[in-house]
Amino acid sequence: MPNANRVFHLTAIRNQVRPSGRLWSPAADVYHAGDGWVVKVDLAGVSIDDLEIVLSDSHLMIRGCRRDTFYREGYTYQQMEITYSRFEKQIEFPCSIDAATLTHDYRDGFLLINMRCK
Amino acid sequence: MSESSEKPDTNPPTPPASAQVGPKVPSEQAASNGKPGQPFEIAVLALQNTTLFPETVVPLAVGRQRSVAAVEAALATPEKLIACITVRPESTAGADATSSELYSVGTLVMIKRMERLDDTMHIIAQGTERIKVIEWKQQEPYLRALVQILPEPRIVDSEGVEATKRNVQAMIQQALALLPGVPPEVRVAILGSVEPVRLAYFLGSILNLGVEQEQKMLEAETADDLLHLAHVYLARELEIIQLRSKITSEAQSEMDKAQRDYILRQQMKAIQKELGEDESGERAEAEMLRERLTAAELPEEVRKESERELKRLERLPAAAPDYHVIRTYLDYILELPWRKSSEDKLDLNEARKILDEDHYGLEDVKERILEFLAVIKLRPDTKSPILCFVGPPGVGKTSLGRSIARSLGRQFERLSLGGMRDEAELRGHRRTYIGSMPGRIIQSIRRAGVNNPVVMLDEIDKLGNDFRGDPASALLEILDPQQNNTFRDHYLDLPFDLSKVFFIATANQMGPIPPPLRDRMEVINLAGYSDPEKLQIARRYLIPRQIRENGLNESQLRIEDEAIELIAARYTREAGVRQLERNIGSIARKVALKIAQGQVESVTITADIKDYLGAPKFYPEQARKELPAGVATGMAWTEMGGEVLFIEATLLPGGKGLTITGQLGEVMQESARAARSYLWSHAAEFGISAEMFRDYGVHLHVPAGAIPKDGPSAGVSITAALASLYTGRRVRPDTAMTGEITLSGLVFPVGGIKEKVLAAHRAGIRRIILPLRNEGDVEEIPEDVRKELQIAFISRINEVVDVALEMLVSNPPPPIAIGRDHTAVQPDSEVAAVRQV
Repeated sequence: MPNANRVFHLTAIRNQVRPSGRLWSPAADVYHAGDGWVVKVDLAGVSIDDLEIVLSDSHLMIRGCRRDTFYREGYTYQQMEITYSRFEKQIEFPCSIDAATLTHDYRDGFLLINMRCK
Repeated sequence: MSESSEKPDTNPPTPPASAQVGPKVPSEQAASNGKPGQPFEIAVLALQNTTLFPETVVPLAVGRQRSVAAVEAALATPEKLIACITVRPESTAGADATSSELYSVGTLVMIKRMERLDDTMHIIAQGTERIKVIEWKQQEPYLRALVQILPEPRIVDSEGVEATKRNVQAMIQQALALLPGVPPEVRVAILGSVEPVRLAYFLGSILNLGVEQEQKMLEAETADDLLHLAHVYLARELEIIQLRSKITSEAQSEMDKAQRDYILRQQMKAIQKELGEDESGERAEAEMLRERLTAAELPEEVRKESERELKRLERLPAAAPDYHVIRTYLDYILELPWRKSSEDKLDLNEARKILDEDHYGLEDVKERILEFLAVIKLRPDTKSPILCFVGPPGVGKTSLGRSIARSLGRQFERLSLGGMRDEAELRGHRRTYIGSMPGRIIQSIRRAGVNNPVVMLDEIDKLGNDFRGDPASALLEILDPQQNNTFRDHYLDLPFDLSKVFFIATANQMGPIPPPLRDRMEVINLAGYSDPEKLQIARRYLIPRQIRENGLNESQLRIEDEAIELIAARYTREAGVRQLERNIGSIARKVALKIAQGQVESVTITADIKDYLGAPKFYPEQARKELPAGVATGMAWTEMGGEVLFIEATLLPGGKGLTITGQLGEVMQESARAARSYLWSHAAEFGISAEMFRDYGVHLHVPAGAIPKDGPSAGVSITAALASLYTGRRVRPDTAMTGEITLSGLVFPVGGIKEKVLAAHRAGIRRIILPLRNEGDVEEIPEDVRKELQIAFISRINEVVDVALEMLVSNPPPPIAIGRDHTAVQPDSEVAAVRQV
């Protein structure tokens, strides 16, 4: 046993570790709007090209990647609180949205997704 | 769980999309794609002592220059990704290890947050994928490598995986129950986790398994292996946790008990305080002792010692075991009469009266006491004498001591030494022993309360000794007036003055008393009482006492003198008067019964006492009416008084030498041999043919055969018996004799004359032969007895033959082989002093 001594370090469990998914997920609001749904996702700074929106059954899946495009040669980070890299958000609806028509747009840094059920 | 190689994303939980809207995620950098197999270059952070697993979030502190450079390089990329690879445990370089010292499999990490604190970067890292190093690109300023994303461990046997997962979850439940410190979100995350791989990775990161095992988990190719490893490690960890928890709970219960005791003690203190028994009580006790010490009249040395002890006492808590030891010790010191004496009554007439009241006769003793009183009267600081009363049981030795104390007006303390075998009994134990006490001497002084009591050391001849010491030797100090003024008891360890104590020892015989001890005492012999004395004692003391004790009065019971004499002679055999008193008591009881039954009003006991006491118990050895040749009457001394005994000798034709029987001791056997040798060597003088000694053996016997006898005083009697045997002239049956003989024919004095003569007189003997040098002892014999006796004093053996043997040859000796000589030499004359009765 290479580390027998640690038996006596009382908490063998590292408290600071937390489980997570593989990717991060942005915050989202969902409105129920008459004939459909409006989903607002906090996804500022994500290029529309880096977005992927998938509908399946009653799930809406938003996937993508936030990249830091402000970084310039000669900058160094003093502090970083915005999470970059790939994200993934799955939203579950009470009914099937398989057949909904879907439009999306950016307004004030939020990604807006309109879903109209037929 | 499913994974499709065609799908660009590496997110297994993602359900397959049935509809895709919008553009596909572009991939400038291979990392963002995450597709296995496409290598890309990335900065590498070397981790020391820890492994970062995918699907976990961990805070990291980055301080080393090279590590900071790697993180900064990662932050300069749009996606802020970095590879975390653990340094092999055998490396000593730590986080500065070169690439060759790193494992080749690591984790692709997303830096979620970064914050600088002084020179350290604190980052929150989230593991995303496993990566494998394909080629190291750069060592400085930070590590950089070409890496490839590894596929997520796949499930081979999904049922097996599920079973292991449940098992693991059950074990986690147990572990969490024993670990109260785990945050709730961790609990929820672990127990709610349905993903076997995520669960295993999370366990790997929280269990602190050590780099090697963590790496093994990270490199596991299949979910089955991964979970199996997690299971094994968790099981081991659980055992440790359980053991630790057991140890902790045991320690806890120990602590609980200690705490409980403490609380109870505090409460007890409070209660004691309420009762006034707290420490101030102890101080009050010490204060009280101090006052008593000041008030007590103590010698200087004693005062010093006791103050020292008192100081020790004050420093001790009352619960200390020594506290009570010291307390008892101080009590003892305070109670001892260091300087307190009782005043002696110095009225000689009064003292005489008291002594006479209590005891009849015993003139020597009474005189000695009065002398002592006279000396004290003239010189008050005189040392007390040490007396030793020696005499048979029941003669009043002990009661005499009591009476001495009464006549002097002193306290009386009696301690029996019979059977005492431990020196510590007399002198105490040292205080270091548990349960130690002062010796009996100091105890009796304390009881007396004065330092000049009469202390009676009873039965001093019955002292024992064994490995615990010899009490007789301890008595040497106690009984020496020159040293007993500084007697040191082991317990007190302080000198106590015993010189004012009037010691009286009693003994039945002088023999067993060690000579040095005998030498320290003034021995007073209390011989047995004669019959007339017994009569007087019975009259004056015993009868009145027994009448009183049995509830009668003088008018109801009268015992005539004849009856008393008869009891003394036929119902008792003793030197003292105990049996006599018992028999009188027995009569008194029977009379009391009669009176109580109303049969009679008063009883007079005459010589006819068979009704009361039954048949006589003793028939004292009486003088034999006729003695054959070869038998002589001797006198012996016993503890019970005196006795007469007969010495019998017969010729053994053809036998040889001298056969001796009758339990005779060494000394007595030797005097028998001396007697025979003397007669042999002076055969002609006594008219004995020398051939007799050659041709005949002699058997000498002294009844009663069962009683051991010893001493030199039978020498004269043996000579008489042998002379009678050889000459054929009988020994006169009314004559008894005693005395030691020498080979040259002298007769030496012996002891116990009074008892012997009294016994002979009782037995009906009227002629006594004594050594000349015992002439003085005759004075002791009561006048009335002496009147009835003829006493011949002799200094040479041949005189015995003249006095004791009859003139005529009545039993001629048997014929001898050669040179027979039948002519017996006639003695010249009878000794004039002997008168026939």
